[in-house]
Amino acid sequence: MPALTFNKVSKTFGDHTVINAFNADIHDGEFLVLLGPSGCGKSTLLRMIAGLSDITSGDLLFDGSVANDWEPKKRGVAFVFQTYALYPHMTVRENIAFPLVMDAFRKWYHLPIVNIVARHRLMKRADIAERTLGIARQLELEPLLDRRPASLSGGQRQRVALARALVRNPDLYLLDEPLSNLDAKLRTQMRSEISALHHKVGKTFVYVTHDQVEAMTMATRIIVMNKGIVQQVDTPDEIYDHPANTFVARFVGSPPMNLIPASVGNDALQLSGKLAVDHAAPLPSRRHMTFGVRPEKLTLHPAGEGRLPAQVAVVERLGAETVIGCRLMTGEENNDQRLLEHDLVFVRVSGNPKVRIGELCSLDYQAGDVLWFDIDSGDRIFPGQE
Amino acid sequence: MMTPRKLAVKALRYTLIGILVVLAGFPVYWMAATALNVNSQLYGTGQVAWPQLQHLPDLVTELGNVPIGRWLFNTLLIASGGTVLSLTLGALAGYALSRFKFHGRGLVGFLLFMTQVVPEALILVPLYAMFITFGLLNSLWGLILANVGFSLPVACFVLKGAMDAVPYEIEESAIIDNCPRFSVLTMIILPLIMPSIAAAAVVSFFAGWNEFLFASTFLMDRTLWPASVGLASFVGQYETPMSAVLGAALVFSTPAIVFFLLIQRKIVAGLTAGAVKG
Repeated sequence: MPALTFNKVSKTFGDHTVINAFNADIHDGEFLVLLGPSGCGKSTLLRMIAGLSDITSGDLLFDGSVANDWEPKKRGVAFVFQTYALYPHMTVRENIAFPLVMDAFRKWYHLPIVNIVARHRLMKRADIAERTLGIARQLELEPLLDRRPASLSGGQRQRVALARALVRNPDLYLLDEPLSNLDAKLRTQMRSEISALHHKVGKTFVYVTHDQVEAMTMATRIIVMNKGIVQQVDTPDEIYDHPANTFVARFVGSPPMNLIPASVGNDALQLSGKLAVDHAAPLPSRRHMTFGVRPEKLTLHPAGEGRLPAQVAVVERLGAETVIGCRLMTGEENNDQRLLEHDLVFVRVSGNPKVRIGELCSLDYQAGDVLWFDIDSGDRIFPGQE
Repeated sequence: MMTPRKLAVKALRYTLIGILVVLAGFPVYWMAATALNVNSQLYGTGQVAWPQLQHLPDLVTELGNVPIGRWLFNTLLIASGGTVLSLTLGALAGYALSRFKFHGRGLVGFLLFMTQVVPEALILVPLYAMFITFGLLNSLWGLILANVGFSLPVACFVLKGAMDAVPYEIEESAIIDNCPRFSVLTMIILPLIMPSIAAAAVVSFFAGWNEFLFASTFLMDRTLWPASVGLASFVGQYETPMSAVLGAALVFSTPAIVFFLLIQRKIVAGLTAGAVKG
């Protein structure tokens, strides 16, 4: 199996830089997720691994060999496209068998008309037919083998695309947002199936998504990207618990991490400019920074009991838990009628706490759950280590 | 149960369709009826409005005096040769214009379009001079080449448009599956644009089938004439055997009608492809 190394890989379209000096290693057998918002360059990166897009500068190494100019077939990869890219004029059986048939083609088989005859003959060859059937059984596609893609549901098409990727038993699987066209329920199901598949085949998977839930549930490692620049490379737990910067803190987690502008004056902490808080832990040695805390690390209390007085602005009941969006009572809240998510502090509590919109409450936290970020660069800062 | 209003609308619709069918079909009928009449009646006042089958042997004898089979074969050769050449080159050129970015791509498209603006008659003389130089005068292959010059750009544009509508990811998927470029075109793209290929085939085929101007100019040998030139040769200085002309026209039209009927279902899909976002 190839180990992949990106060495200062960049990609530009005209004057527009999509990927800027990307460095990363992809290890054998891991499930690596490229996570980032739309347009951050993650799909371009995947296409560069597959050989579908040229690399503007830098090197992509397959097992230490520079592979920038390798043809896609030399790379031995399978690619699952967002739109599945099935061949509409072929049956499911023909779609799945296509990579095997192509591998068995001799040069002169590619002549027009000869290729039709050769394809039909090779489809009947015992090893190809058996392998196709085996993969179809594995993905529960056997009853659909003689149907065309147009008559399949989204989930079935997705499975056919996976089967076509699996059939050649490649070393590297590249998946470009393969679940984004499915409904929520099917997406959850397919998420589990792809994870199970990874464990079963034990090959390297590189998976592109903008959905942090997919990334958190499937990945062994995540590369978080923004505007073509790597923000953090780590395990899902580390990325969630110890985000490298405010972009990662907000992008990973739903609702995202609460990020509140903070300042320190006379050794006392003030949140949102006005709200003085008794913080029983070392503070960063700078005057202005960003205070970050995950919604589940905040606790909801009746008014006056917690350190952060607040007013309920949004209540999202999710069944087993409730997400409550509060506006901090800084003394200026009457002048501030904004209801943007960005301006609210979210708290996640289990069950249904029976709070009403407009109700006064208070929030509290453990000092050890707070993360600090630079107010300008957004980078994580560690009190005492600055 | 159909309401009287719906019934009336339906009746009106079928009446209109009937009128249109009669209007479109009458010339064909009249061609058959005239072919099976005697010339003396046609130039007098006694023409019978329906085909007189007893004159069929006379017509066959009259048509037997000219090499109509040979002319039809020539027409078929010109039409099908031009179609195959136009579709083959049109598919390759259309694929290049649709998928590859190269300098002068816009110019190539413009020049192809310009071939449709120039009337055939305008380039007849320069083409004649070229044909003399290349030894293509009095040759069916030369005529096929001249025709392809006009039908290829149309085929190219029709096929390019259809290829533009094929998602690029399908092609990339085939490349990942180890399919070379040429096979991507022949095994993936072309089967997906069959309706447009049928439409381009019809345009090219009928351009060749109806060929007259180039054929009457470039072909001197009577046995090389296509049916269109052969038909025109019936017209004499003092007399035109009208029943023979229309009998030959009937024979000439039949293969074209059969070809069209065979391919028409695909053409409609091809001509409307891309009209709405699918």
